[in-house]
Amino acid sequence: MSDKKSLLNNPRIIIFILAVLGALIAIHPGYTPGEGITSHLNFGLDLEGGSWLQIKLEGALAQVDADPEKIVSAFVQHAIGAPINITNSNLGVGGSADKSITFTTSAPINASQIEILGLGTVKVDKLNGGTTQVTISSTSEEALIQTYLSKSLDAEVVPMSTQNEVVYEIRTAVSEAELEALMGKVGGSIHKNEDGSSTYKEGVSTETRDLTKSILSDKLNSFGLKDIPVRTVGEDYILIDFAGIDLATAKEIAEKPGKFEIRIQTTGNETQHVLYGDSIVSVGIPGFVDNQWHTPFTLNEEGARTLQKVALETGAVDDPESHYLNMYLDDVKIYGAPLSYDAAAKLRDAPIYSWEASTGTDEAAKTEAKTLQVHLRSGALPVNVVLVGSGHVDAGLGAQFKTASVIAGLISLVAVAAVVYYRYRRPEILVPMIGTSISEVIMILGFAALIKWQLDLAAIAGIIASIGTGIDHLIIITDEVLQEGKLPSTKKVFSSRISKAFVIILGAASTVIIAMSPLVVMGFGTLKGFAIVTIIGVFIGVIVARPVYGVVIQELLEAKGEVATDKGSLDD
Amino acid sequence: MATGFTEFLDNFVKNHDNRQLLAFPLAILAVSLIILLVSFLSSGSPVTLGMEFQGGTQVSLETTDSPDVLKEAFSSYPLIDSRQAGNRVILEFGVMDNEKQRQLEKDVTTRYSNVEIRQIGPIYGQELQVQAIQALIISFIGMAIVVFLLFRSFVPSFAVILSAFSDIMIALAFMKVAGVELSLGTLAALLMLIGYSVDSDILLTNRILKRRGTVEEKVSRAIETGVTMTSTVLVALLAMYLVSTYLYLILPSFTQIPLLSQISIVLLAGLFADIMNTWLLNTGILRWYVHKPEFKGRYDR
Repeated sequence: MSDKKSLLNNPRIIIFILAVLGALIAIHPGYTPGEGITSHLNFGLDLEGGSWLQIKLEGALAQVDADPEKIVSAFVQHAIGAPINITNSNLGVGGSADKSITFTTSAPINASQIEILGLGTVKVDKLNGGTTQVTISSTSEEALIQTYLSKSLDAEVVPMSTQNEVVYEIRTAVSEAELEALMGKVGGSIHKNEDGSSTYKEGVSTETRDLTKSILSDKLNSFGLKDIPVRTVGEDYILIDFAGIDLATAKEIAEKPGKFEIRIQTTGNETQHVLYGDSIVSVGIPGFVDNQWHTPFTLNEEGARTLQKVALETGAVDDPESHYLNMYLDDVKIYGAPLSYDAAAKLRDAPIYSWEASTGTDEAAKTEAKTLQVHLRSGALPVNVVLVGSGHVDAGLGAQFKTASVIAGLISLVAVAAVVYYRYRRPEILVPMIGTSISEVIMILGFAALIKWQLDLAAIAGIIASIGTGIDHLIIITDEVLQEGKLPSTKKVFSSRISKAFVIILGAASTVIIAMSPLVVMGFGTLKGFAIVTIIGVFIGVIVARPVYGVVIQELLEAKGEVATDKGSLDD
Repeated sequence: MATGFTEFLDNFVKNHDNRQLLAFPLAILAVSLIILLVSFLSSGSPVTLGMEFQGGTQVSLETTDSPDVLKEAFSSYPLIDSRQAGNRVILEFGVMDNEKQRQLEKDVTTRYSNVEIRQIGPIYGQELQVQAIQALIISFIGMAIVVFLLFRSFVPSFAVILSAFSDIMIALAFMKVAGVELSLGTLAALLMLIGYSVDSDILLTNRILKRRGTVEEKVSRAIETGVTMTSTVLVALLAMYLVSTYLYLILPSFTQIPLLSQISIVLLAGLFADIMNTWLLNTGILRWYVHKPEFKGRYDR
């Protein structure tokens, strides 16, 4: 029974050995002269040195309504400084597309005065008696609310249609009371949910958060420095790690906008500057229209006029094909296309504010349209962000932390071994127990290396925590199996004792896992790592390592002949 | 430590009735709660909140200058506190604007070596505070539910939960008295304590309710196992505490690791409380419960 063969036939032991070997391969420990000890483990900033920035995305989501006629009145009266009289409107009728409103005023106005408000397509007619009639078409309640909020708060506002409601994403900080007051001015309010709670929610949508994250990641990693990971933490936070970069430099890098430029082809391969990224007011969500992927974007007054002027000067309006418009991000060309004939024709008469960059018809075009959406923003983020936290650890200090934690771990292990030996006074128990414990550390580290988890000080505390519970559980197994210090006489009694031990262990392990799980879900940056490592450690311990410990001490003690002769011990 | 203490504890439990066993831990719990209440009434928070929960900037740097000299050197910033931590000095600043913040960061990183900076915005700090309380409460409730599912009877489950609650309250009161701030690190320690503290309670309850033998015998054997368990964790934490706090005295090239030092000292306090709560409080309640007349001999056989 006690020969090596039987141990190796046990599937639990085979799994255990494979897991430890796998972990060692994943960690890949090595020694390079000059570099010292090397491994595939990733260390966090507090052990490696570097800095981090944590930013909060400010914004609000809410369902709101308003009296669209009041919005038009407010805008127009403010712009022309004279009262208006609404004569016809179908804005109040449901549906979101292509509504119109007509009003008259005694003030002399022209079309561009109204056009610049961005309310819709404008038509101006002079009526008898000095009155002017204005019709705004291709508009809707939704579009008007969007424009109203956007102008009032000086921020981008994006309406997002859900099943039967429109949620407005306001991309700047606005409190519920502020929003309520703003909507009140135009005869509207914030909607309530069915249960009576407000639909107002602080934060931004997941899509916006992910877009912000990819813009940041794109921008930071375009500097060709080290890999700078950008992670989302909780719902509204983004954490950026700058390994090996000090805090002051990190802030400089994060704040430096990318340089976006549009140039136009003049003759041959020569190009001429048209505008920079600051002329782009907003970038829309890529869409599939007329069998083409498009990324819409809007230029400001100056940008639109410059583009018109340059297009006329270079002759692009007459021969678009030989005057491509090229886009560059940090001097790297990212897009190039000719003016459409339609746009070229329009440009002869007036500047165009709303543009669409089309990329093609296939999946690759879809990806390109999405990339363009990021690039067009040239590192400008879609939402307002504020720095809520930052940190910095010198590389030398990190190295000291790393060595000291290894020393702390080793001394802890020796101290634990001493207590175990003092209690049992048997190497057959001491060696497997400490061995199991070490194997658990190896497996946790291997797992961390495999998923490229960054080990920081909090994660090390987590490893120590799971090792602590691990030793506790091994002691429970030992004491259950060895009643009166002897092994039970039959296999059956032995397995029943082992399963009793596991009832206690599983109970204790599940409380640890439950106690740690809120940290995994909540927004704490560092503590999340601590909780995940602890939970993984407990799982590895309970499933892989601890069952093997039971089998091993049985074999070792049997080999020494320490089996109880008295069958009638305390078992049932 | 284990054997001598085990015998002492075993005899103590045998020679005192349930009422006597409960008196001491309940008195300590009451004192702890009073400490936390007084602190709450006087300062608005039961424990001292660290920088992470209040907002501000903490700078830790290596220097031979005294904290007072540094106080002078950084007087142009909103310095709140300057204190010695081993061979380092920890400076705490209040909230300042971006410009000032950058100047401070440049100032510190160019003039000193082995610098660590942590800055938290006041609003985020508030948010962390709320989350910290939520995390503690959710963890505790989760643990309580698991314990109830394990034992499915009120009094034994309640005894386990009460002693875990007492462990945390005593650890919090210890933090208040010893001047350990609530930081993300000590919060982690308190959550770890929830996990550790129920280990020995589950062992005790399981042995008494689900095994044969006399209650006295079962308690003695649970003490033997349980005390070994707790002492291994205690020595491991003690080693971690000593190395992270005092290693620099022996090896000057090292420095304190505040995070590990704080985690270990809070856990040490909590686990000492746990020894008392498991073997006096929980044992007392459980022993009274299993000797109730309606269970006549059910748990004592």
